[in-house]
Amino acid sequence: MQKPPVLTVVLGVFAALLAIVPLGYLVLRMAEGFDAAVTELARPRTLELLTNTVVLVVSVSLTALVVGVVQAWFVVRTNLNYPGFYAVVATVPLAIPSYVLALGYSSIFPWFQGFWASWLILSMATAPYVFLAVSAALLRVDIAAEEVGRSLGLSRLQVFFKITWPQVRTGATAAVLLVALYVLSEFGAIALLRFDTFTRAIYNAYRSSFDRTAAASLALVLVALTLVILLLERRYRGDYLKQRPANPRRLKQDLGKAQTPVTLLLALFGLLGAGLPIAALMNWTLIGSSTTDLGKLLSATLTSVGIAALAAILVSVFALAVSVWVVLHKNKLGSFIEGLIWSNHALPALVVGLALVFFGANITPWIYQSIWLLMIAYLILFLPNGLAAMSTPLAQVPKSLTEVSRSLGQSYRKTLTKVILPIASPGLIAASALVMLTVLKELPATLLLRPTGAETLATRMWSATEELAYAQAAPFALVLVIIAGLPALALNASVRKTYSEVNDA
Amino acid sequence: MKKLFAAALAAVSVVGLAGCAPSDADGDFVVYVGRSETLIQPLIDQYIAETGIQVQVRYAGSAELAAQILEEGNNSPADVFFAQDAGALGAVSKAGYLQKLDDDLLNLVAPEYRAADGTWMGVSGRVRVFNYNTDKVAESELPSSVLDLAGPEWRGRVGIAPTNSSFQAFVTALAKIEGEEVASQWLSAMKENGVIYEKNSAILEAVESGQVDAGLINHYYWYVLGNERGFENLNSNIAAFESQDVGNLRNVAGVGIVSQDSRAKAFVEFLLSASAQNYFVNETAEYPLIQGVEPLPGLTPLQDIPAPGFDLNDLEALEETLRLIRAAGLI
Repeated sequence: MQKPPVLTVVLGVFAALLAIVPLGYLVLRMAEGFDAAVTELARPRTLELLTNTVVLVVSVSLTALVVGVVQAWFVVRTNLNYPGFYAVVATVPLAIPSYVLALGYSSIFPWFQGFWASWLILSMATAPYVFLAVSAALLRVDIAAEEVGRSLGLSRLQVFFKITWPQVRTGATAAVLLVALYVLSEFGAIALLRFDTFTRAIYNAYRSSFDRTAAASLALVLVALTLVILLLERRYRGDYLKQRPANPRRLKQDLGKAQTPVTLLLALFGLLGAGLPIAALMNWTLIGSSTTDLGKLLSATLTSVGIAALAAILVSVFALAVSVWVVLHKNKLGSFIEGLIWSNHALPALVVGLALVFFGANITPWIYQSIWLLMIAYLILFLPNGLAAMSTPLAQVPKSLTEVSRSLGQSYRKTLTKVILPIASPGLIAASALVMLTVLKELPATLLLRPTGAETLATRMWSATEELAYAQAAPFALVLVIIAGLPALALNASVRKTYSEVNDA
Repeated sequence: MKKLFAAALAAVSVVGLAGCAPSDADGDFVVYVGRSETLIQPLIDQYIAETGIQVQVRYAGSAELAAQILEEGNNSPADVFFAQDAGALGAVSKAGYLQKLDDDLLNLVAPEYRAADGTWMGVSGRVRVFNYNTDKVAESELPSSVLDLAGPEWRGRVGIAPTNSSFQAFVTALAKIEGEEVASQWLSAMKENGVIYEKNSAILEAVESGQVDAGLINHYYWYVLGNERGFENLNSNIAAFESQDVGNLRNVAGVGIVSQDSRAKAFVEFLLSASAQNYFVNETAEYPLIQGVEPLPGLTPLQDIPAPGFDLNDLEALEETLRLIRAAGLI
């Protein structure tokens, strides 16, 4: 096989080196202040945080599982009216950053805070992951087995638990673990709703103790929790990829009289997950429209878009380099580098931000508080997303075309730039766009690392909510949903696939 | 690839336009501001308009910025530190990161409102007050001491902002005046009785909306809101505790110079100019600290506030205070 181009190797190795900075620096920091770290972790408070975090992760995961499975089953497996519409409704929360959901709710209900509030918001925000995985699995369920089960006298519920569920379980489990990771690393919504989990405590420890070892040691506990879930995820991920084509013949349960209540239930989920908070934000935007500082809104939008575009380009260049290496020139070093980059995909953004603040202030003062340190954070956080999105279009370029080009005497480099990349380019561009939209919504790392004076939509919204100034915060949140959330939803391949399959039914 | 490059250039220029191009270590004049952006940015804009000097402002909590300057050490990009309270300044000064201010500047304010070693000086005065929702708290129920808020009748009713430096300064004073033991007990009680917010302004909003019955804030937030909405439309009022109670602590927002940048002194001079002092009086309802500028007519003069006698230099024990607050589990 052809050796990978030198440039891809250089970029890949650089990205891998960056990938080890956050954890490496945190460990170093903790080792330096080991006694302080032990004191910090021995506080009763740490146990309180651990309990809060674990209870929230477990309860949200289970709720998202139930909600997502219920939505998927009714949409895919019953004669529900307008299933395509409810498939859209079930995925819309994906377009709304969870801190925007939280803002929407707490702006209507001042008492909306603490555990139950966080539980509701995060369950609604994450149920779409379960819905997508489970509806995809349900579309491929073996219907004949269900029919046999029914004919042998099993009740509908028994058929579901004994025959259907085992076929859906792996997909659902993988989605639930994804939800658990999401909740562990969630910062904005939880901080806004004032529920004390590790992320909020880390942020507060960072802000209000002179010895920042405290924040570093709490961050490492969070990383340890993340690892536990990742290990679980590894165990289940393997089966997830095995897919049958969608089953053309569907056994659809007749809802009969239940049509109306089921419709109401699905509509209620939609209302809780998107309708209500968005309506609240629109209302606040109207209320505050006379005092809205349009200049501020515009400049925050431009800053957001500029920063996100720059980040998307950087991430794309690196992701493309590593993808070319891994997909077209698979070798041991490439796989190792890919593994290193992936190892950060579940690291909470707050932890990465924190590690880079320390690192930047002490080791690399020349990029500290400049946009480049922020870019490094985005590169660490979102390179895995970029890799995942770019490998597929590259892998899909037919091998035969490469061979034809080479046999016609084109150099390898020419083949790469004139044949492979142009064919893959629509997929690659979509991948960069998706990265850009993801960066737009990022809050914690941006909060810690943004250059002095740079305010994005997310940070503007954040500082307004700290003062409970909802009318001020609402327009920033709405613009964020419109320019980042909705396009991301439209670009998301698995969402599109689910719509079309449900609509074909 | 060409397209990608063109797009990259476009993005960089957008970023540049938005005013966040990579900062030039020598060129930028950077002020760390530990106060609310809503209150301070108009003043900064005025300074920029008057002098043409560009000011990069980093807003965050005063304690956070103090910790940040300590972390950054000599690499700190900050030229000036404008803090919400004297404690954050004292802590940075104690670590040796503040330059001594010139005497002509220092002499603008009374000795009790500046550092004994001349490394920082007050810019505007403020007082801690008890803010309460008039429907939820009867006049007869008003506590005579801030320590009374530890009682069971206040369970879940008092808004506090443990990450806010004005609250932290009050806790430092509490520990100095009443002893660490009393302070620790009071903080533990507030774990039950307190409802935690990020900022004074959030507490006031929460008291106004009835989300919480009462709160501990700085006086001027209430006046600013009253000016904005009309005092007769407010759902809350403010009250002082009994005379000499630490809950009535008098404090200053102040300023210190971190770097050798020549623009720093001019900026500090501006903050103590009559025009800036009048801004504090009229826009933020704070107490002016220079001669010749009078506070708002309705305000009790700063020297007549029934505050405890307390040396603001003692507020530098911020680090111990943060430890106390964290030990109580409030942060």
